Amino acid sequence: MNEKSLEAQSGFHRHGNLAYVSNFSESECEILINLVGQILELLGERRDNHGDDLLAAMIGITSHDSPPDDDVLLRLLPNAYADQVDASEFRRYTESTLRAKKTANAMSMRIDLKSSPDGCVEVDHEGANAWLGAMNDIRLALGVRLNVQGKSRDDLEILGPDDPLRGVYAVYSWLGWLQESLILALMDERL
Amino acid sequence: MVTTKETTDEKVDAAIKEIFSSDKPWVTIVWDDPVNLMSYVTYVFMELFRFPREKANELMMKVHTEGRAVVSTGSREEMEHDVARLHEYGLWATVQHGESSS
Repeated sequence: MNEKSLEAQSGFHRHGNLAYVSNFSESECEILINLVGQILELLGERRDNHGDDLLAAMIGITSHDSPPDDDVLLRLLPNAYADQVDASEFRRYTESTLRAKKTANAMSMRIDLKSSPDGCVEVDHEGANAWLGAMNDIRLALGVRLNVQGKSRDDLEILGPDDPLRGVYAVYSWLGWLQESLILALMDERL
Repeated sequence: MVTTKETTDEKVDAAIKEIFSSDKPWVTIVWDDPVNLMSYVTYVFMELFRFPREKANELMMKVHTEGRAVVSTGSREEMEHDVARLHEYGLWATVQHGESSS
């Protein structure tokens, strides 16, 4: 994939007072649908475990006391306390809601992409926030895989042409740029 | 020296009271994360806490340069609510008991 040709095309801009628009190429749509699908799949892997406790299911208690083993899921569903006992208790009562919210954001982004065959996506403020959340979750996931935490930007810029992470970094950078374009449009500023 | 003893007792009482006091506020801390865009962190602060842009930007810079910043203070329930919403947006946030927002 050529990151330059991607960057040349899209990006969100304000349309009227309440709408934000971006025109995506077919390949950009494909990439975004693919990535958002992976986030949905990942979130779906962490199922609730209610057993027969229907009341617990109804009020959203997940019975997950321990954080996810997977590093990406742990970044998407982080601990809220440094103390493990407090963190477990909080997770038991809130993780299911957090997963539902992240899933809803990703679904919203996917529906917007799939329902616009010409690649023109238009969102309102609420839709824009769903996109921001979903794009950020994708970037967090890619960031964990790229080990952004342990590497400098320069390390990532000089990945060799054969390094499979090079393509991942190109997508990660492009998503950051796309996310920024929507933030600036929301803040009513020009890129 | 009755008066001195009373003063000492009062001091001890006050110290004990402070240790068990529930007045000490809870805080929400946002931690620096190399993935989240600076503009995004500012935007989320504006969106969630209704901070004016300048204040949101200042807090974001504090997170960025110092590695962390207290973004809200209050009851434990309120802080848990704030952390849950920050997590929805993908910011790295935790609840902690007692810390000044300086």
